[in-house]
Amino acid sequence: MHYTRKGDMYLGTLTRAVRNVSRRKMRTFLVIIALGFSMAIMISIPAGVISNQEATQSLSENYKNTINNMQEEINKTSTLIEVSASSRRGMFSGAPSGMPFPRFGQEETFINATVVDEISTIVGVKDVVPFLEVSSEETTEETMSTPRGSFTISRPVYTITGVCLKSTLIDSYSILATNVIDGRNLVEGDSGVIVISLNLSDYYGVYVGDKIEVYDETFKVVGIYNSTTRTVHMNITDVQRITDNVGNVSRLDVYAQDISYVDNIAEVIEAAYPELYVTTYEDRLANLERTQEMYETTLATSESTLSQMQTVAFQEISIAIVATSLIVLFMMLYTVRERTKEIGILKAIGFSNWNVMNQFMLEGILLSTMAGAVGAVIGIIGAPVISSLLLPSASSVNLNPFSTSRGFSGQTVNFGTALSQSVTATADPQTLLLGFGAMLLLGAIGSLYPAWRAARTSPMEALRYE
Amino acid sequence: MSNVVLETENLEKVYAIGRRKINALSDVNLRVNKGDFAAIMGPSGSGKTTLLNLLGCLDRPTNGKVILDDVDVTRVPEKTLWKFRRHKIGFIFQTFNLLPYLSAIENVELPMEGTKKPKSERRKRAHELLEIVGLSTRKEHKPPRLSAGEQQRVAIARALANNPTILLADEPTGNLDVKTSFEIVRLLSKLNIIQGTTIVMVTHDSNVASRAGRILFLSDGKLLNREKKGMHLLKGDLTCPHCHKPIQPDHAFCPRCGKKVE
Repeated sequence: MHYTRKGDMYLGTLTRAVRNVSRRKMRTFLVIIALGFSMAIMISIPAGVISNQEATQSLSENYKNTINNMQEEINKTSTLIEVSASSRRGMFSGAPSGMPFPRFGQEETFINATVVDEISTIVGVKDVVPFLEVSSEETTEETMSTPRGSFTISRPVYTITGVCLKSTLIDSYSILATNVIDGRNLVEGDSGVIVISLNLSDYYGVYVGDKIEVYDETFKVVGIYNSTTRTVHMNITDVQRITDNVGNVSRLDVYAQDISYVDNIAEVIEAAYPELYVTTYEDRLANLERTQEMYETTLATSESTLSQMQTVAFQEISIAIVATSLIVLFMMLYTVRERTKEIGILKAIGFSNWNVMNQFMLEGILLSTMAGAVGAVIGIIGAPVISSLLLPSASSVNLNPFSTSRGFSGQTVNFGTALSQSVTATADPQTLLLGFGAMLLLGAIGSLYPAWRAARTSPMEALRYE
Repeated sequence: MSNVVLETENLEKVYAIGRRKINALSDVNLRVNKGDFAAIMGPSGSGKTTLLNLLGCLDRPTNGKVILDDVDVTRVPEKTLWKFRRHKIGFIFQTFNLLPYLSAIENVELPMEGTKKPKSERRKRAHELLEIVGLSTRKEHKPPRLSAGEQQRVAIARALANNPTILLADEPTGNLDVKTSFEIVRLLSKLNIIQGTTIVMVTHDSNVASRAGRILFLSDGKLLNREKKGMHLLKGDLTCPHCHKPIQPDHAFCPRCGKKVE
């Protein structure tokens, strides 16, 4: 019967919606803030869950890589028998993270160098590589917190590792520091020179070419290698001399001619030197299995925490969704009631039910659009705080990291670093967009009933309303 | 073609208040011809507003017919009745009922929203209407900044926006002082005479009613069988748009300046 210009119609409806929303400034402001916080919750919580999911995944990958690396190293050293004067010196002995030092209160014990020659004569032994590991004289005081209280302990600043610099051994086995990033490594015949770890270089501020005093003797730094431990590598004879340990070693790496000799050699050493600790390929494999078990327990705990977090997140997002819809619903119901007369006027001058419904729907959506923008800003700024307040504490996923320190070629392998760092929730653009879309949808849903009620109002009844 | 634009047949409206039934209107037979200016008079509670609401498609009768432009609107479904309100009827209320947050010109444009007229044409038409009601200089003012008489003029302009078949005025002077009431009725008379607008006005004021062409009486919901002729026009109601001197309705040219009277 009649044509309409819909674009113009919507423009007029939008203009009126904007004027209506802006003429009640305080109410609009309060509703936008309330809805904005709802939206911020809707985007911060998923952001928190996603960040923790990523952290757990990263933890899992980190563990898997470490286990694979360990497996590879163990496989490479199938002919190696480790002999040490104390139990901690063995590979994968389960020493606490980042502690390349003797346990506190434990005296450093040594093996007489003559043992090296004796072990060399055992049938099947190819080479014996001696090491001498001694703690630095200099100590540092550290405060440790335990459930029973905190106390101060003093611990050595670094460890000195003396290595045998025979070229036949250096060339055949991985006994020197790896990952030299500056200067050079030790070579046969070196004396009075050292290679230090990056951590120690940073600690003392010494670089290649600088001199450093170790046990009252001056050494020249010839190389720096990348490591998080504080270690000094030097010729074993230098260590023996400066620490008055001539003729002593602390650890031996015994290499068999092939794997068939390993058990026999280990048995002979254990029989001849019951005070020494002997570790073979099989022991190391058993250690690896224990490590894997720990890894699986850690991962299971973190996954269970994540699942708990997801449940809580689901509940909180549901509450936020219901709250948003209710805020819009009550606000729009109030608006419709307040503007009943206006509805009557619009209908009396020829507005259809659909036009009236559009008017109120658009106002609800306009409010939620503004709230969405405010919520996005609050979400971007406040996601870390909101998610940490509303989700189960991220520290519950922050499991005790465990590590093996040593051992291969002076490298330290750390576990559990992924979640030992605090997880920071950041709302990514996709989450923001989804949150914004959800806000518009909830605005539309919340306005639907009030707008329908407005449209159904009888014009005559509405005009009488005061 | 029939000259009747609005007709009612045995119109009846019964309100139920609890178990009581109140006959607001009974057996009302009314006929309004094109170009009529009819005033319906009656005391408070006689059913004037009820009748106007039924004529204006704002309410449904209990029985009877309302025939508007040859269509029985009582049979038109509620969801399409808005088309009649938009295109056939112009409503003027006692309390003006303007939207306070829209300017005068925006209020006048409002009924044209959603029609086939483009925005520029709607604005032009609204401007013309405000000129007709003598408010072209106050078009950007919002209702709270206009006087009662000015607000009613805006409401009249709004009612004329879609060129309706009939203008329904419910106590248009009810909230105005005597002088302003006179101006408003004079404006309605001019519209009726110059533009040929058909008007049905409800009032309880005999002075106001006397300015209409026909005066009908409603009492206890019944249209009385006596109809009077009003004075319709007073001296000075019609003036030449060019020289502003009084003219008669049948003058095609101004007797003073000789120019054509639209």
